[in-house]
Amino acid sequence: MARNESVPILVVDDDPNSLDIVRTFLEARGYRVVTASTGKEALSRMEELRPGLVLLDVMMPGMDGWEVARVIKSHPDFGSVRIVMLTARSDFADKQQGLRSGADDYIVKPIRLEELGTRVERNMKALERPA
Amino acid sequence: MKILAHVTDDGLREALRASAADLGAELQEVDGPLLDGGRSLPAQADLVVAESGDDENLDRLREVTNRVGSSLLVACHGLEECETAALAGVDDWILLPADRQQLGAQLALAREKAAIMRPRRENERAELLRYEELLYDKLTGLPTLPVMMERARELLERRGELTVLYIHFVWYEKVEEIYGWQKLDDVLATTATAVKEFYAREHIGSENLMMVSHIADDDFILFTELGTTPEIAEQRLRALTQQLEDYLRTRIEELHGEDIAALCGIYVGAGTIFRNPKIRTERLIYRGLREAERAARSAEEWERARKVGELKTTLREGLVFIEYHPIIVTATEEIYGYEALARGTRKELRSPEVLFEVAEEANLVWELGRLLRQRAVEGMIHELKDGQFLFLNVDPKDFDDPTFRDMDPKDLGIDDPSRVVLEITERTAIKDYPRFQEYLAAFRKRGFRFAVDDAGSGYAGLGSIANLAPDYIKLDISLISNIDSNFLKQNLVETMVSFAESQGAKVIAEGVERREEFETVKELGVHLTQGFLFHRPKYAGKPRT
Repeated sequence: MARNESVPILVVDDDPNSLDIVRTFLEARGYRVVTASTGKEALSRMEELRPGLVLLDVMMPGMDGWEVARVIKSHPDFGSVRIVMLTARSDFADKQQGLRSGADDYIVKPIRLEELGTRVERNMKALERPA
Repeated sequence: MKILAHVTDDGLREALRASAADLGAELQEVDGPLLDGGRSLPAQADLVVAESGDDENLDRLREVTNRVGSSLLVACHGLEECETAALAGVDDWILLPADRQQLGAQLALAREKAAIMRPRRENERAELLRYEELLYDKLTGLPTLPVMMERARELLERRGELTVLYIHFVWYEKVEEIYGWQKLDDVLATTATAVKEFYAREHIGSENLMMVSHIADDDFILFTELGTTPEIAEQRLRALTQQLEDYLRTRIEELHGEDIAALCGIYVGAGTIFRNPKIRTERLIYRGLREAERAARSAEEWERARKVGELKTTLREGLVFIEYHPIIVTATEEIYGYEALARGTRKELRSPEVLFEVAEEANLVWELGRLLRQRAVEGMIHELKDGQFLFLNVDPKDFDDPTFRDMDPKDLGIDDPSRVVLEITERTAIKDYPRFQEYLAAFRKRGFRFAVDDAGSGYAGLGSIANLAPDYIKLDISLISNIDSNFLKQNLVETMVSFAESQGAKVIAEGVERREEFETVKELGVHLTQGFLFHRPKYAGKPRT
């Protein structure tokens, strides 16, 4: 099965440049990518898009990434969606926060593309495994 | 499917017509803006297609379509309009020029949605849908108090009498602390469902049970009409209250287990309201509510008092038993030591959390701690093989107890304190840190070792772990469950392991239940492991009487 027939990846970031880079990179690797620029938009489109993986920026105006993660993970239909946080720093407190929000992984910004690639790949793999 | 559209873009119109034909949908096109002149057209359509722009008031359109249960698809001339549409909360949008295939897919999706929405729309509740978001509890789907007030008033005026059942749901804070807020939400949802089931089962039926509401995030009220003579009503009410309480408890126990059920309490109180033309109806209803609530809370008080009585008996008669949960060396899978776990013998006090909560309330924490330590040491200290350790749970508050603080280990039957590890959990906040550290130092001098319990659960951050300088760091179960597929947890545990090593401490992974979890913690270098995968808690080899 070609990758782009598989479940899409939803990238949520308020920075259009960042969105563009991530989308281009992931699409080049054969993933189907959809984007949202606010947490609210992401949530309102979850049902329609049914992503398997959500790449979620932490620092966003309005609802921040933690909040969005929590809402997604507590939704009965989306509990198994993988959530990878994009965070500006990664100290212990941040990671604990991520854990409480239900995140599965994190990537520290600025994003290194090869890291993005491996993280996305392993999370998509984890998705194929039954929980 | 019926589609109602107002479009000016030619490409969109063409695509729309073609896609509608493909789906066999009925397409109605209008010339002017959709809401012009208070038009109520959207009410008849499953899908409303509008073009973004000055002509249409999207917010208003969304409100109307939401109310009647139609989907709203908005065509946008640019990304900015898409954003506006998204913020307005429209169901779907398409960027112009319209891609025919995409539009086709969107229409198909709307059709699916319509199949679900139509019966609802045709329901007489249509006018209530508008308030749904605000007035119905998201978690349980039950109406909230404002909805109820109106209906209760109607009823009271019609029937002259109304009974309120107040279902007071209490949980020990520990449910959230141990199992997370999601679990508590689950339990609440179970309760709500159980109330509805009870309603169906008891055939209180539409005649008698009027409605259920969910208020103040944890309590429910239920308006009912029991009728007939006051004596019969009173009797029936008491029976109903008891049945409801029992039913809810049973359901929670069935679905979430005895441990969680033990941490939750359900108390039902009743109040009756009679119409009194001299008093404002709302006030009557509120009075009835308060009466019912008071009854429920006093049932709770009574129950608490009874539990305190049980605890006193427990302490006097020594009605506790200790189970020992082995801790193994991750690399060799050999038994490294045993953690003593206390349980009450009385059903209500079987859960250790309840045992301690009740002790806390009754100010009997020290007494309970003494009894449990004594039993824990007695049961195991002579069973330990060379090099094995006994792990004892200690609350920070225990250190305020002089008989614990100043004890001679020999009084407890401990010949070699270095074989004993005191596990400290920070669930009780440590108020006076310097003093606490002094106490710890004194214990350390006598040879005792220390473990920080529940690390990573939010109670014990790296800071406080560094302050306590423990010999062991016990990772909370929330960090371990499904660690094999959660990379964030893996990273956190890795951090903990390297931190522990730099402090000369060992890490213990708690709650390892699956082989994959074990393999993962092993790979991450976790020194010790505890969990059902290898051992369940068990009684000591030779129980002493």
